[in-house]
Parts: sequence; C-alpha cells; structure tokens
Amino acid sequence: MPNPIEQYARDLSEETREAVRKSGALTTGQRVEILQKDYEDPDALRRLAGEIKQHTIDHLDSYLEQAEASLTKAGAKVHFASDADSARQCVLGILQQSDVQRVVKSKSMATEEIHLNPFLEKQGIETVETDLGEFIIQIDEDTPSHIVRPIIHKKREEVAESFEKHGLGDYNTDPETITRRARVHLREKYMQSGAGITGGNFVSAESGRIVLVTNEGNARFSMAPNKVHIAVIGIEKIVPRDRDLAVFLNLLARSATAQQLTVYTQFIKGPRMPSQPSGPEEMHVVFLDNGRSQILGESCREILRCIRCGACQNVCPVYRHASGHAYRAVYGGPIGAVLSPLLGGKASFPEYADLPKASSLCGACREVCPVDIPIPDMLLKLRHKGKKQGVSTPGSFPMAPFATLATSPTAWRTAMTAARAMNYLPMKLAPIKPLRDWLGDRTLPKWRGGDFRRWLKTRKGNNADA
Amino acid sequence: MPDRDAIFKRVRTSLLQSSGGAPLPDYDPSALVAKPRLTGAGLWENFAQNFGAVSGRPMTELGEVVSFLKSEGVSYGYCDLALCERFETVLDEIGIEIVSTYDRERYDDYQFGITRAAGAIAETGTVILTDSSTSDRLGALTPWIHIAVLPEACLIETVGEALASFDPDETTIIWATGPSKTADIEGILIEGVHGPGEQVCLLML
Amino acid sequence: MATQSIERAVNTEVQLMMTCLCDAFYAGVAEATVRVLEAAGCRVHVPEDQTCCGQPAFNGGDFESSRKIAQHTAKVFSGDLPIIVPSGSCAAMHLHGNGLQFENAPDEGQMGVRSLAKRTWEVCDFLVHGLGKTTWPGRLDRRVAIHDSCHTRGSGTGAAMRTLLGSIAGVELLEIGQAEQCCGFGGTFSVTFPHISTGMGTLKLDEVHAKRPDMLVSGDMSCLMHLNGLAENQERALPHCHAVEVLAEALG
Ligand code: SF4
Repeated sequence: MPNPIEQYARDLSEETREAVRKSGALTTGQRVEILQKDYEDPDALRRLAGEIKQHTIDHLDSYLEQAEASLTKAGAKVHFASDADSARQCVLGILQQSDVQRVVKSKSMATEEIHLNPFLEKQGIETVETDLGEFIIQIDEDTPSHIVRPIIHKKREEVAESFEKHGLGDYNTDPETITRRARVHLREKYMQSGAGITGGNFVSAESGRIVLVTNEGNARFSMAPNKVHIAVIGIEKIVPRDRDLAVFLNLLARSATAQQLTVYTQFIKGPRMPSQPSGPEEMHVVFLDNGRSQILGESCREILRCIRCGACQNVCPVYRHASGHAYRAVYGGPIGAVLSPLLGGKASFPEYADLPKASSLCGACREVCPVDIPIPDMLLKLRHKGKKQGVSTPGSFPMAPFATLATSPTAWRTAMTAARAMNYLPMKLAPIKPLRDWLGDRTLPKWRGGDFRRWLKTRKGNNADA
Repeated sequence: MPDRDAIFKRVRTSLLQSSGGAPLPDYDPSALVAKPRLTGAGLWENFAQNFGAVSGRPMTELGEVVSFLKSEGVSYGYCDLALCERFETVLDEIGIEIVSTYDRERYDDYQFGITRAAGAIAETGTVILTDSSTSDRLGALTPWIHIAVLPEACLIETVGEALASFDPDETTIIWATGPSKTADIEGILIEGVHGPGEQVCLLML
Repeated sequence: MATQSIERAVNTEVQLMMTCLCDAFYAGVAEATVRVLEAAGCRVHVPEDQTCCGQPAFNGGDFESSRKIAQHTAKVFSGDLPIIVPSGSCAAMHLHGNGLQFENAPDEGQMGVRSLAKRTWEVCDFLVHGLGKTTWPGRLDRRVAIHDSCHTRGSGTGAAMRTLLGSIAGVELLEIGQAEQCCGFGGTFSVTFPHISTGMGTLKLDEVHAKRPDMLVSGDMSCLMHLNGLAENQERALPHCHAVEVLAEALG
C-alpha cells in the first residue's frame, strides 16, 4: 500500500496540481521579494518573532491570565474551552442567550478545527461563511485546502457552476463578476444576522486587544451590524505586548500574501463605544485548548509558535504536488504534518503518523517560517515517536540491519565490493515493489564499491595513510 | 468554570516539562521599519506614495474629492455630521446629496461614505479608524467609496509608533490599508469584496 | 543546517569522510576531494573503518539505529582533526542531526559524537571559510549550473562553492530558478513517494535546462544521482559532477 499522500498525489488531476504549484511558486517568490525589499536582514526578524513567541508559550499560564484580566477589564466576557465539544457548546450557549438565529462568520482556522458550522446548522442556527473562499467551500460542502487560500484547489469554472446551482446568477466564470455577486448576497446576510463569529490572529496580553486580519473586510462587516461578537481563539495566540504586534503583523502579511499589512487589521478589546451607533454590544472571547496544552509539554512545543501564514505550504514541494486535502485534516502541508498527529492527543496519533513521513526533509519550510519553527526537526521527532510506539506506516523501512552493517567495518567493506554484483542484475526485477517503481523512473549509476579505497592504496600520491 | 481551571492546570503541568523558559528578547523597534518606504520628502508624501501603492487615492484638495465623486457618477452618500458643513454645498452644486444619519434599511443605497480618520500610517499607507472618530462603522464600510478625512496632525510615521500610540479607551481600532480585496479565485486580485472598492484619504490642513 | 555560526576546528592535517555514496558509486568524487585538499596544502587521512553517517536510519525515525552509527563514526574519527566531507548532507548530519537525536542524552552516552559537530566541514566550506582560499587556479571554458542541496541551507557551502568555481578562469556560473526547491531525492523519501519525487525532480530538471548549461554541479552526489537518474530516463541527461571534481579538473 503506498503512503496515502503519495496515492493522493497520483490521483490528483494535472489541472489542480498545476494550480496549487503555480500559486505556491508565485507567492513564495513574492514573499522573498517584499521581505528583501523592505528589510536588511529579514532572517533576524524571523528569529526575533520566534523568540518572542517561544517566550510567550513558555510562560503561557501567566500571559493567558493577564490576557483574561485585560479583556475582562475592557468589558469583554472571557470563556475557556478544553476541547472542540466544549467550545461548540460554549458558542451555542452565548447565541441562545441572546436569542440569535443567524450567524455570519469570518474565516477562522480555530472554528474549522472544532467543526463549528455543521454543529450550529444542526442546532437550527443559520451559519454563513463570509470570506469569499470559505463561502464557496461552504456552498460546495468542501473543505479548505490551504490556510490562507482556502480554494486554491478550485478552478473558476467550478465556482461558476456552484454559483449557478445555488441561484447566485447565471453561469459566469469572470472572477470579478463572481466576487460582485458574493458581495451582494453576503451583505444581506451580514445585515440580517444577530452575531458575528471570528477567530483571532493575536491577543495582546498587556491590553487584551485581539487582533484580526482580513483582506476582504469581512471580519469588520461581521461585527459592524451585529449585536454580539464571538471570537474563538487558540490559547497559543497570545503575544506579550501591543508593541510586539509590530513584529508579527509585519511578518504575517509579508509571509502570507506579500503585503506590508493585511488590508483590514483590527484591534478589539470589547464591545463598541457608547457613542458608536453600530457594532456589538457584547464581546465574547472563547479561548480554545483542544490539545494545545498537551503539545506544550512535548518535544514539539515550538509548533505552538505558528501564526498560520501558510508560507510553509506555499514553498513545500510535497504540498505543491499533493495539495492540502492530501493531508486529511484541517491543516495541510508542513504545518499540518506536525500539528495533525499532535492535536488529537495520544488517541489520534497513529491515524496521522504517516504525515511526518511525507517530506524529503528539504528544510524549505523552516527557511520561510516567520516564527522560525524548526519544522524538519519536528518531522524527524514525530517519525521517531512513531517508530518507538511501533506505529507502522506505509513505506517504512527496517533500519536495524543497516545499522548492524554500518557499525561493522569489515562486513561493510565486503558488502561494498560484493555489491558489484548489482551491475549485472536487471534492475527492473528489483524485489520490492516501491524500489521497482523508483527504478521505473530512474537509472542508477554504475556500482563502484570499494574503488576509492583501492585507489588510495595504489596511488603514488602523498596521502597520509597510504 | 471547570474548563478554565482544567486548562490552567494542564498548561502548568506541561510547562514543568520545558526547560525553564526563554526570556523575552530585547529588541530595537526600528529594526521593524521598512525604511525604503520612507524616503519621501515628508510624512504626507510617504503616506501618499504607500497609500497609492495599495490602490488608495490620496488627495489634498476638496476639489479633487468632488471631481472624483463626479467622475464616479454618484448621487447619494453618507457623511459624518461633523463634516457635512464642509462637503454639503460643494456636493449639492453638482447634484450629489449627503445625509448624516445612517439608515440600516438603506445600506445598499449609499454610494459613498465620508467619515473622519483617527490617524494614518505613512510607512504602510494605512488609514486608522476608531469607534470614537468614525461616526458610524457602517458608513465607512458598506458604500463602494469610502472617503476618510485626515487631520494632518494625526499622521504617524511607522507601524510601531501607531501601536505605541493606542488610546487605551478605544475598544475598537481599525487599520485599513487600501480597498478591501481578495485573490481567492485563481489568485486573481479583485478589489472591493465586502468593504469599499475605493479608498480615498483627504488630508485636512 | 545553520552551520555558519559554529566555531570549528581548522588544520591542514585533516580526516576525510568519503561518505557511503562515494564508497559505493562515486569513487571519483572521493579521489577529487583528496587531490583538491592536497592542492590546498592539506595532509589527508582516510580512516579505514568509516562507513556511513547514519542519516538513512535517522531520517526514518529510527534514532536507536542511527545513534549507534553516529557513535561508530565518532570512534572512527576520534581526535581533534577537522573532518572533511564531500557532501553537505552528511556534514549536516554531524552539525545538526546528531544534536537532535542525542538531544536529551547525557554526555557519556554520546561517546564523542558531540565532538563531530565541532570538527566537520563540507569540503568547499572548509576550503573557503576554514583555509581562507578565495581563488582557484586553472581554466575551464564552461557554463556551470549550480544546484544547492537542501542540507546546505543556511551553511557556508553555497557561497564557498560559488567563490571557488567562479574564480576559475572561463567558468560562467548560472543560477537556476526556484533554487529553494528540493530535487526530490530525500533518501527513502524517493522510494516511498516515487510519484511526488519524480515530479519534483522533473521540475528541477526543467529549471536546470532552462539555463542551457554545459554541466550541472552540486555539493551533494545524492541530488545529482537522483537528477541524473531521472534525466537519463527522460532522455535529457547532461554532464554533471561534484564541485570538487570541477576543482580537480581545473588543477589539470
Ligand atoms: S508553521 Fe510557520 S510557515 Fe507554516 S503556517 Fe505556521 S507560521 Fe507559517
């Protein structure tokens, strides 16, 4: 059985693969360009951001407490949710208390993670995604395949078809027309709903301000006409002070979309001001744990620095070939390969233990990560964890015999010379299926085992040991 | 609140596993300034340059705004009461009507909205809106054209300075850097998704 | 990976770690490394009992196996001479990988492994940043495309390779597009993910050929083995060799 990601990549249409690859290549290039244009040493900033975030999660208990106190003081209500179920119930409780029947949502990975939409719909609460990509995902009953560009896997023709199917106009593939139609459709939803649900990109412990960034303005619109605002935010999203936000906002926008700043960057720490006619009267913040506090105690805790910029997905060659859906979970690509096996705790580790193997360990993700997460190291640690726990994943190779050989110099030297026999074997008859596949596309060089050692002994040169 | 206590307990238990904790690094905020974006003659020039780069329209004369609105063919808009005096006559002359109360029922009728900006950031071409400066959030959000009127004294040079100057009493601060936009469909940039498709900033001397 | 910041041993008496790949397939690269080091004034020791850096097991997550191999390597390369490797990948195993797999191990358990990180150099990195060579003699009229191997990210190798090759009279260096993209080898990765790996390698070959080079040069034979293996099957093979082979050739 091939690795599921390999299988997914094989089955993926050439069109989708090209779309994902092109987008990845384009954004990767633009990211480098803007960082180099604006800063003398962008890598120093990535390291700084990583250090600030690491410091914060290393002191998460006190920062979380501080954020809670600051938010409460500013008039927001703070809730805590241990897991997905608890978070969903919490949101439902708030909505019911205010008798809300309709909800608009702005894109949030945390609410994706807890599968909030289907739950609310089941409770009879109309829930509408307002980010254009997420809206299309919702009407298609699809799932996002990229953190920042949820419909990177879709062609405009598919979007045109779903718009037609859902009564949003005649078949039209023009992205501008599609966007205008969504604009008209969704503003009606905003104006008729009772609550806006958002995520939160950062929370300043010092002021309690939650920071929300969107390019479309949908988070702003989810709040402006509504009485209730609920923000569902992972507990790791905290930063110490307002001024630290300069580090993260500058890096986030450049890493995610090659912008200096995301178009709408909002800093919110409570309900609207009394003088303001529009805006929520209640602000609720739901801090979500859902496995994060466990990850904090493990050797991959640095993954909690992640600010969900998607740069690692854009640059990742495996992601580019397989697309985000191949990773079978909310988060695809390098970040998903680390997070998915960890988020569900012990119970779901085996289910996702193959993800960390889907990498050539090329390290491109680490090079672009705005918070300098050593992703390849984590992939290795998770592989080791899988090995120790005896979780078998497709395509694992037993390495103990190799270790025996590599620690027995005489046997090693013999094998080097003896394996010359390989030159005479028809390679296509290689015994293992994957090896056969591999050799189907590649030619091996000529075996020259031991030649260098012989050359050393016979040459007239001045090498020290001859 | 059982979840709260459980989370704090788990966090603390997990933190015992980590090696003491990294210190909060000391850093020079000027390292975060995109210096090449600030090479113009002054704050406004830099702002105008960067605002223009994100498809914003910087303007310094009332007349510019008037002819822009005329060229857009609008006839009805929302205007902050405090700014009405300034705009009413000139707009009336060319047949454009403004109202100073935002009627939610008519959200689709406002073709433009004129509100006050609380500030602007030169480095990024960002207009700052707050609850106390914006007469109505919806007036700055639902119309296709938003005109932010900026008092010159409120120009700030950098993102870092803007963060440092947050008014603790403001519960909602919005930074708008150009018109609302998306690239969700095949990466093609479309301006004007949910919010304004045109963002104007008028400098008020 | 981030090797630049590490203070490492410098000496003109060095130990060569030939790498298992050169032991098995690329004798010429190991020979060239010896010649190049000698031309740079070094005396080269080649410990007989050397085998492999342990990376295949390490990458497979079998740290128990790879630690044993690392300990064997540490024993074979004991002492304090610089260890020179014609591979950024094997060098990275010493400089970074060992630290990770022994992360929580006490010093005694490591049996000298830690010392490897203080002495190991990728060969070009050593010539330039260790010995201070900035020019190379000889003449070769050639358009050379450089493939940076993934394990040299953040290390001094890329710059060193360009400094040396670029200083040879007649050599024109070509930078290939999307250089940050992996060639798709990744050891067992290419066996477990043959389809993805082939896709990656094919894109890399497209970028290489777009520059119309006379030859493709890298600091890692594993990448070149993979790329050439694919290129031959796709009938677009081009001359390829390790950077030290170019240096050796320039020596005449
Ligand atoms: S892991 Fe790093 S690069 Fe990937 S999404 Fe998170 S912050 Fe961005």
